[in-house]
Order: sequence, then structure tokens, then C-alpha cells
Amino acid sequence: MIRDERIPSDELRRIDEEIRSDWPTGADVDFEEAIAYHESLPERKRFADVLESADKPLLQPRAGVPRLDDQIELLEYLHGEGKADLLPTTIDSYTRDNEYEKAQQGLEKARETGDDTLNGFPAVNHGVEGCRELIEAIDAPIEVRHGTPDARLLAAITFAGGFQSFEGGPISYNIPYTKRHGLEETIERWQFVDRLAGAYTQRGVRINREPFGPLTGTLVPPSIAIAIGIVEGQLAATQGVRSITLGYGQVGNVVQDVAALNALRDLANEYLPDEVVVTTVFHEWMGGFPPDEARANGVISLGGMTAAIAQPDKVITKSPQEFQGVPTMQANAAGLRTTRQVIDMAIEQNIGIDGIVEEQDLIERETRCLMDAIFTHGDGDVVQGTIKAFDSGALDVPFAPSDSAKGAILPARDDDGRVRIFEWADLEMDDDIKEIHKARLSQRADTEGREQSFRMVADDVDAISDGKLIGRP
Amino acid sequence: MVLNTMSQTVVLGVIGSDAHVVGITILEQAFSAAGFDVVNLGVQTSQEEFAEAAVAHDAGAVLVSSLYGHAEQDCQGFHQVLEEAGVDAATYIGGNLAVGQDDFEETRATFEALGFDRVFDSETDPEEAIAALRDDLGLTTTDTERATISS
Repeated sequence: MIRDERIPSDELRRIDEEIRSDWPTGADVDFEEAIAYHESLPERKRFADVLESADKPLLQPRAGVPRLDDQIELLEYLHGEGKADLLPTTIDSYTRDNEYEKAQQGLEKARETGDDTLNGFPAVNHGVEGCRELIEAIDAPIEVRHGTPDARLLAAITFAGGFQSFEGGPISYNIPYTKRHGLEETIERWQFVDRLAGAYTQRGVRINREPFGPLTGTLVPPSIAIAIGIVEGQLAATQGVRSITLGYGQVGNVVQDVAALNALRDLANEYLPDEVVVTTVFHEWMGGFPPDEARANGVISLGGMTAAIAQPDKVITKSPQEFQGVPTMQANAAGLRTTRQVIDMAIEQNIGIDGIVEEQDLIERETRCLMDAIFTHGDGDVVQGTIKAFDSGALDVPFAPSDSAKGAILPARDDDGRVRIFEWADLEMDDDIKEIHKARLSQRADTEGREQSFRMVADDVDAISDGKLIGRP
Repeated sequence: MVLNTMSQTVVLGVIGSDAHVVGITILEQAFSAAGFDVVNLGVQTSQEEFAEAAVAHDAGAVLVSSLYGHAEQDCQGFHQVLEEAGVDAATYIGGNLAVGQDDFEETRATFEALGFDRVFDSETDPEEAIAALRDDLGLTTTDTERATISS
């Protein structure tokens, strides 16, 4: 039975050797040599230091293409023309499934034809040397962004390759991303990833870790995202990670979004150990986008405005071509510039909005209910508590595809467009909080002259792409 | 088309490696509220899993969802698998069925040729699919309706 305990050094070495034999490039990883390499990097490429010392929200896009030269060109463009402060390298889907052979075929085809035959950068196939070429070419810190349930080899290679930030976690890269990976399995695999990041940290190379806050990206109630982020932060801290960035995805109601980011910051600092430096990241709207670049820019701008008020440490931007899928580099840079323009105009205005304090209080009470449920389910152990709470449905994520979660709760917007819970299923929550949600949703039903039903949920899922926040009839 | 079976059981799932779950969650709710018995297989469902579930539950309809653009590849041979398993059900497919193809009629023709009875785009409301299924199964509204759907 796995528990929230640090992996011993000999066990770390054993797993490390085992996973590095999964693909030939694993043989090039040498921990001592990698430490020296990281020490040789200039300060402006040290992810944790750059992020933690920033005095306003830093901007980061998503971007990944198969070929190394193209990836360098793409990131240079986003840095130069988009003025991105932090850069990403998004990993392709085959690598996320540990299908390195298929990724290799895709990469070779991309090299032959010049087409983007993979939807991201196959970092395992590029190996330590390929990663370092990228790190050296770009004059800014770069994070690995992916969606990999078993990211052990990816972590071993990209850490040795000079990356100092790594997205994901055992819940956030399982529950929203895959059907059949058990939670116990992904927790065990991510304990290794965090332990490896912790081993670098112990040697003075602080690897930043970023749980994926938006989860399923569709009307996720803030308290659920925050509770899961805190759990993943706790698991990482146990393994020795000392720089943790917790995330939250925009729901579109400004009051709720600002309140959620404030609650995330306060609760993370409260729940995580003092030796951890906590930062926050705000994701611009992760749901369906309008099929129109002008309107998409509106969605992005509202995200920029929210960021200017809440002042997270980092913002992950969207592009006006979000509706169509992977954007051109020009559109990707445009999303960065739009966001920067709005943030820089609004950030010094000290905008306060009524209701933020009350909403933050509600979110914090909800989050504590969920954290207490996890603690109780695990008899004090956060690993067992998480597994058992998901199993019983006391902890759940709306629209979760994974067999490890019930996926039985349903969210809907209230009359102000704040995300509430319409179907609680077995989610652990105090009755007075449930009553608040019920009353708010009832108010919306009255306004719209219809019963509360799943129809509201469906309408809300489509609302923003249809041009409004609330899916009114 | 009126099928011999009067089963009101609908088997629902996302085919292939696709993990997009929001659409089928809404369809599950909508078909349940409309009175159908829904078996939701969830995301990342293989052709064989669809066939097994359709047999096990004597399904009147098999509803396939796909949003990641690989539907054509994932559905090759699907109807043969259903036939070999002895499935006699209406088959629908809906979602984002092709990457970067804006002519939906062409997409519809592609999937009808693969054997689907009806093909829907991603803008289709659940009510439209429910009405179509009632037609295809020869059911009246009162046969199935347990709850009022207002929109």
C-alpha cells in the first residue's frame, strides 16, 4: 500500500535505472553531469528564480512542434514577437502514451516531409542533447508541458536536458486525460518524478513543479481545483520539491475568478510546508472558444483583466485561433500581446469589486470540507485519502473520463454566471454550503422561467462559444 | 426505418483513443431524462467494447462520439464487428468527425458509407438526436418521456 512517504535514495536509483532502459536515449542521462550542466546555465534561464522574483504576472503560451529547429524558431518568435516571459515545450500525444517508437516514426516523417506529423515535441526521442540545444538557443526559462500519466522517463531526460519546470501531477494528468490508469499507479509514478525533482533541488537546482489546475477545463468548481492542486503540492513537497506553482482555470465570472485565485494563494500557503515557495498560475479560458478571432480576443481580454485584478504570478495565454486547434505562431503571439496590453493597462488601477471577499470565503470553506474528507478517508495519509475519497465519490471532478473518479457531479452557472454544483452525487460538502448553491441555482431557474435541469449544464458548456457567459434559453 | 427491436436501451461511448468526455456526459443525461436506458461506456472505447455492450444490453441504438479528428480511422470495419457480434441496432455518430474539413455533407457521406444510419455535426442539440432516435425506433414521445425537457 503506497503512502505519502519519501522514496528512499536506493529505491530512487533502482527505478531510475529501470525506466532509463525503456528507450535508448535514457542511457545518456547522468545525474552528476546534469547538475553541473544546470549550474552552468545563466540566471535568466532558471525557471523558479525568474518566476518567484517577478513583480507582475509573467506570460507563457503553449507551443510544441516535432522538429528541433522548428521548435527553436517557434519559441524564438513567441519570445521576440509575443514577448512571452516564460516559454513552454508541449509534448506530443505518442510520448504522453509512452509510445516512443511511434513518436520516432512521426519525428522521422516530419524530418523527411517538413510536415508537423506530431502534435508536439517528442523530447524523449530528441534526448538529452536535443533538449540542451533547445535550452541553449532560447534566452528564457522553458517548462515541459504535457499530459503524461507515466512521465518518469520524460522527466529523467528533460531534467538532464536542462528544463527546470515540469507540469502535471498524479491526479491532474490522470483524471482529465485518460480512462484506465488507476490513481494508485499514477501516484506511485509521480512520486518518482517529484523525488527526482527533489534530488535536483537538494543539490541546489530547484526544479519548479506545476500541477495542472484546470483539470477537465469545463466548468470546474474552484474549490475542487484548489483541493486537488493542494494535494498534488503536498505530494511533491514530501518528495523534496521546493518550488510549486498551483493553477486555476478561468471560469469567466470575474468575481469568482479573482476570489478563486486569492483563495488558491492563501490556502496553498497554509496547507503546504513553509520550506516550499508557492506561486500561482491562471489559465485563460480552457473551454470551447468562439469560432471567430475577434470574439476570441474578447475572451482572452477578459482573462487579462481578471489577471490584472488578481495578480497571479503567471498567466497561460490562449490564442484567437483556439477554436480551430493548434494556432499559427502569429496567432499564438497575438494572444500574448492582447493579454499583456490589458494587464498593463489595468494592473495599476487597484480595481476592487464587491463580493470578492464573500465568494473567497465560500470557496475556502468548500475547499476545507474537501481537504477534511481526504484527510479522514486516509486516516491522516494524503495518498490513501485521495485514492479512497475518489473511490467513494467524496472527491470528484465534473466530466472526468477516468474510471478512477465517479465523474458524477455536474456544475451549472448561477444567475451571475458563477459556477455552482447542480448535481452533488457523493461529493463531501457541508449541508449549509449545498443550500447556498441550491438557492443560487434556484434564482437562475426563476429568472429563466425553467426548472433546474441538466439542460442548463449543456447550455452553459456551449455558452461562451455562443457569445455569452450563461447558457440562458 | 423501424427496427424490429423495441429496446429503449442506448449504448453510448467515445471511440478510439479520444478522451473528450463532456459531450457524452450531456448525451447520457439527455437520453436518460428522455426515458431511454443509457449504457455509457465512457471515453477511449474500442469497437469490440461497443459490440459487447450492445449484445449484453440488447441495445436499440449505438451512439458513437468522436471529437479528436481520427473518427474515420477509428470506425473502419466497425459495422462488420457489430454484425459479427449479432448487433441489430441503429447506429449514430456525432462530433468533430474530420480535421480541417468544413464541408459537412462530404463528412456525412463518408460516415454513411461506413454504415452509420445518422451522422451529426458538433453543433447538434441532444434533442435533435433524441427525436431522430424516437423516429428510427418507432417510439412516441409518451413511450419514453419520464421527465420534461425544456429548452
